[in-house]
Amino acid sequence: MRRRLFAILAVTALVAAACTGRDDDEGTAATEETPAGPVTLTFWHGYSDAEAESLEALLDIWNADNPNIRIEPLFVNNDKALQKLTVALQGGEPPDITYQYGSSLPQLAAAPGLVDLTEWVQESEVNWEDFVPGARTAATFEDRVLGVPALIDNLAVVYNKTLFDDAGLEYPNDQWSWDDFRAAAAALTDPAEKRFGFSYPMDASEDTVWHYDPLLWQNGGSILTEDQTQAAFNSPEGVEALEVLTGMAVDDQSVFLDIQNSAYTDVFNSGRIGMLVTGPWDLPSLPDVDYGVEILPGFDGDHQTIAGPDMWCVFDNGEGRAQAALEFVKWLTDPEQIEQEALATGHLPIRLSVTEDAAFLEEFGQAFPGVDVFAENLANVEQARPVLAAYPQVSEAMGLAIVSAMLGESEPQAALDEAAAQANDALALGAA
Amino acid sequence: MDRFRRFLVSDHAAGWAFILPSVILIVVFGLIPIVWGLVLSFQKAGLISPEREWVGFENYTRIVSDPKARQAAVNTITYTVLFVPTSIMAALFVAHALNRKIAFIRFYRLAVFIPVVTSTIATGIMFLWLFDKNFGLANWLLGKIGLGPFGFFEDPDQAMIALVLMTIWGWLGFDTIIYLAALQGVPHELIEAAAIDGASRWSTFWRVTWPMLGPATLLLVVWSTISALQLFDEVFFVTKGGPLGRTSVLVFYVYRLAFEQGLGALSLAGYAAAIAYVLFLVILVLTLAQFWLGRRVVHYQS
Repeated sequence: MRRRLFAILAVTALVAAACTGRDDDEGTAATEETPAGPVTLTFWHGYSDAEAESLEALLDIWNADNPNIRIEPLFVNNDKALQKLTVALQGGEPPDITYQYGSSLPQLAAAPGLVDLTEWVQESEVNWEDFVPGARTAATFEDRVLGVPALIDNLAVVYNKTLFDDAGLEYPNDQWSWDDFRAAAAALTDPAEKRFGFSYPMDASEDTVWHYDPLLWQNGGSILTEDQTQAAFNSPEGVEALEVLTGMAVDDQSVFLDIQNSAYTDVFNSGRIGMLVTGPWDLPSLPDVDYGVEILPGFDGDHQTIAGPDMWCVFDNGEGRAQAALEFVKWLTDPEQIEQEALATGHLPIRLSVTEDAAFLEEFGQAFPGVDVFAENLANVEQARPVLAAYPQVSEAMGLAIVSAMLGESEPQAALDEAAAQANDALALGAA
Repeated sequence: MDRFRRFLVSDHAAGWAFILPSVILIVVFGLIPIVWGLVLSFQKAGLISPEREWVGFENYTRIVSDPKARQAAVNTITYTVLFVPTSIMAALFVAHALNRKIAFIRFYRLAVFIPVVTSTIATGIMFLWLFDKNFGLANWLLGKIGLGPFGFFEDPDQAMIALVLMTIWGWLGFDTIIYLAALQGVPHELIEAAAIDGASRWSTFWRVTWPMLGPATLLLVVWSTISALQLFDEVFFVTKGGPLGRTSVLVFYVYRLAFEQGLGALSLAGYAAAIAYVLFLVILVLTLAQFWLGRRVVHYQS
């Protein structure tokens, strides 16, 4: 019955899709209209625990100061925020403001009622140039700004100091090459103790792919050709980057292969993984380990990393609500609020002016040991993933290739060539 | 007008009034979606956007040349072929074992049925832990008798088997209850007559009891086949179609296309609907065939 029920629901959603329809398919420009009376805006976010507390505190301030624009928060799991939004759009009642992953943007861009912010962000009060560059790129699709940066993460090495001490190894440093990393991972591995040097997300999702991207970029490769019409990750640079990972996973057997991508924090926290490549969001899940944070190892001294930016999107529900929503988003992403939120949650500040504030950084580093390394690591973000409608399929092909090679099911070159062929098909069809 | 009044006081009207709530639900959540799904399958569409484009049978012809659809179809068939006979045979065995008067029999029956009412998520978490390659109880126990370690969900060649085992465990109780009821409906005089005629217990079971279970077996075969072809929850939650797409079944693939990858304008929702429709037709034909075959071989007690 459970299966049956699901099937019915899925079909219903597909159908609702077929029969509803709003005419405005392009993003609407921000209206000048202001609400006549007090409005209550629906605000979707995916924050829990300390993040939610910090958000509630901010909302209390806003709601006390702005009786005319009341914000009503609703928790929506970030991983399914796009699906939830789709359902809400089919019902004709999107939230006024919603948190969305940057990677969802190409699909989101087609949503009816999504407010085009291109002109609004040029207003001086928003101070658009003050947002971290990678976050700005990620909120822009085909020259249209469709979101306001909400959060930015990046990848760095998180290592278990105790395991390094026990093995008599030196801690990672900012000069490390991937060869150094690989050697340390091998030295930390002990099959009898079920201990691994490194861990890798193996669910073939975007998480699998973005762990590989920095290696590809550091080595001089790229995901797509410059005109974004062909796959380029199967270049010699891309193969060499993947061989670093397969060398560890297949030859050294030094990697905890997290097939479901759900166990690594627990395993690291129980002292059985030496090094993770991850972002600051995992640090609160590692209370039992004395860990250190270091920037990524590099190829030939290139230590660039990758950013995962998320954003606030605004929907136009008429009656000046969009204008009110923008007022709130502007306030929420103001440096003052960003700083307060960062100190409460450990979120990396999304405003350059906050990141450059030395006094803030010191306080931040004391409150959240290691997070300051992530904050400074934002400067090592040089490239962004392609923002394309066909990207989900390109990503899926790459993810399967990486997993296949790391499981030893295929050779890196062959795996990436096959993925490139699939990616090229998807790019030619334009995601259709 | 006269006819209408006659209708109102007839049994027909009362009948319709009683079933109206279900009819509305079936129409709204069943019939209308079925029709609109069909419409969608001839369109190029993404669920987030209202844009639609008619493409005729393009979505259907595309299925043939899609390697991932083929992989999902093969996985779905593999799963069904493994799941249906194994789960039914296991249920028959368990039902037979529970069809006797021994101490604590209610407890045993309850224990067998509990997994059916346990949420799939709970079952999934438990099996992820049990079948964990490095730290799972299953590998620890098997290690004690010198087997393994097995990768289970983490090994591309074992994930499907692990999935079958997990779902059999989850669904065994349902099949068992059906068989248990059917076993208790087998007339005792038939068994007695067979015993008097000198039949062994083995041949009594296969010559008398098993034919009498025909209607229950037919029901379970049809029901399990439909459920197996529509497998989704366990894949969505436990394996996510992996590793390497080895457990990606059709409904899961449809979900990924329609709700994860193809939400954008003029994207993959229509194609996903086409796959869903092909699956619907396959299930329809299979079910009709099973009933047709069932009528010829199943013995209904008069």
